[in-house]
Amino acid sequence: MGTTQRTTRAVMTAEGLRHRYGESLALDGVDLRVDPGECVALLGPNGAGKSTLVALTVGLLAPQQGSVRVLGGDPRRAATRRRLGVAQQTLGFPNTLTVDELVTGAAVRGGLRASAAGPVLAELGLAELRRRRVPKLSGGQKQRVQLAMALVTDPALLVLDEPTVGLDTSARRHFWQILARRRARGTAVLVTTHLIEESAAVADRVVVLDRGGILADAPPEELVARLPDRTVTVRTRLDRRELELLPGVLSVAADHDLVRIQTRAPEELLRALLDRDERLSELRVQDAGLEEAVLALTDRAEAAR
Amino acid sequence: MSAMTARVFGVELRDELRAIVREPTSLFFSILMPVGFFVLFNLLYGHKVTGGVPAGTAMVATFGTYGVITVAALQPGIGVAQDRDLGWLRMKRVSAVPIGISLAAKATAALLYGVGVLALMGAAAEAFGTLHASAGQLVRVALVLLLGTVPFTLASVAVGLRFRTNATIALLNALLFPLAVLSGLWIPIQFLPQTVRQIARFLPTYHLAQLGLAQLGRGSMLIHILALLVTTAATLGLAMLAHRHART
Repeated sequence: MGTTQRTTRAVMTAEGLRHRYGESLALDGVDLRVDPGECVALLGPNGAGKSTLVALTVGLLAPQQGSVRVLGGDPRRAATRRRLGVAQQTLGFPNTLTVDELVTGAAVRGGLRASAAGPVLAELGLAELRRRRVPKLSGGQKQRVQLAMALVTDPALLVLDEPTVGLDTSARRHFWQILARRRARGTAVLVTTHLIEESAAVADRVVVLDRGGILADAPPEELVARLPDRTVTVRTRLDRRELELLPGVLSVAADHDLVRIQTRAPEELLRALLDRDERLSELRVQDAGLEEAVLALTDRAEAAR
Repeated sequence: MSAMTARVFGVELRDELRAIVREPTSLFFSILMPVGFFVLFNLLYGHKVTGGVPAGTAMVATFGTYGVITVAALQPGIGVAQDRDLGWLRMKRVSAVPIGISLAAKATAALLYGVGVLALMGAAAEAFGTLHASAGQLVRVALVLLLGTVPFTLASVAVGLRFRTNATIALLNALLFPLAVLSGLWIPIQFLPQTVRQIARFLPTYHLAQLGLAQLGRGSMLIHILALLVTTAATLGLAMLAHRHART
């Protein structure tokens, strides 16, 4: 995992990270490296250790074992943390402040002059809203304000926790466009998300965590290519039980008579389907997506335990 | 304090003051209620003389104590609890803002609030003709009362670091009301029953009010200073403990 020799100076490195909460092991020997301009998506089920890894990366927790470095420094030190930008899913803003006050405040807290806020507000399309107070902002606008606060210090590493939850498609596209520009200038992005297909579109690497360990660390297309599964989508009168008994079926997801079947033997399955339902329609066979690849990895790990 | 720390403190204080000015509902409990009580009691009893000091003047110390501890005990703790609930305190920690700076800004904003409360009370007493103290005495009363808010601010922060906003509001108000009544902040202590007077000796609010009255020439200071120092040490310990266990 991540064994390729890289000559650039890493923005973030984690080596042998282990962390416990009482009896529960949250991280079990995690190694990770994020390079300048790279976007790394942390994926995994709830309790996989993503939040702990993020908390260690941003200096909110001290490693119990192993080390984490941001630009070679300890993230618990203020000077290192100023090189980080963080946007968290659960952040609420004080209702008494305006957009301008929030972003200028973030600039000053990050060691810059208040005037540093101007260009970021313009970049994120917030200049018109700068005098507006928090209660009058939409969910998408609040997300942009948080991103502006994270970007105002021009961080070397941006840590994003579910950054696009609640955004519509256009706002999401705009969000990733802004990040693409920043990444082109060298800002690395570490993002945790449940929107797996979105991470497939934007991340250079996907790190799949489960029960505190890394199951995979690879580009999304490589993860998908490793999976021999195919998805057969079809409208059929066969019910779920009948479908599950067909040859090569791994799983069935049904929405009325439109079903999605996971299989590793698509030809065999198609023959059986056509044989049993002469009125079969809307047949499609697709490669599995990243979501299926991640699920397959976590299922395999679960089965191995 | 480095230039950068000073700038961050400035931003934190500015945000706190904006919160006060822009959310006027908090003004009711923190300013209007103490000042309103002061005006009412001053009109009713301000011209009587108790313990050699005109009641209207003594009330600047006793109601003043109530006024400053109301803001010192409510504002910082509620502010911290709100910041925690919002994730705002966590955001500040991630932004490398030392928590001490945030708390100091909240305490300073509460102090400025306290100055406002005392100024309004002084102005009201002057207007009613019940203020018989020199400017030096009044300045000393104000300084003593404002300095004496430290243990209350620490206790408030300790509560705010441990409880959610609604619980913090309820708990701090539940503590404040009996402290005010039992310490003789509303009704002069000498008019309260003997049992209450005995209880009052164990309350920091009583000692702060007595320290304020001492600046007007009534009573000694040493025992009250010692009591407040002990309270400060205890509440500092509580605040540090609460900080260690707080999930920001």
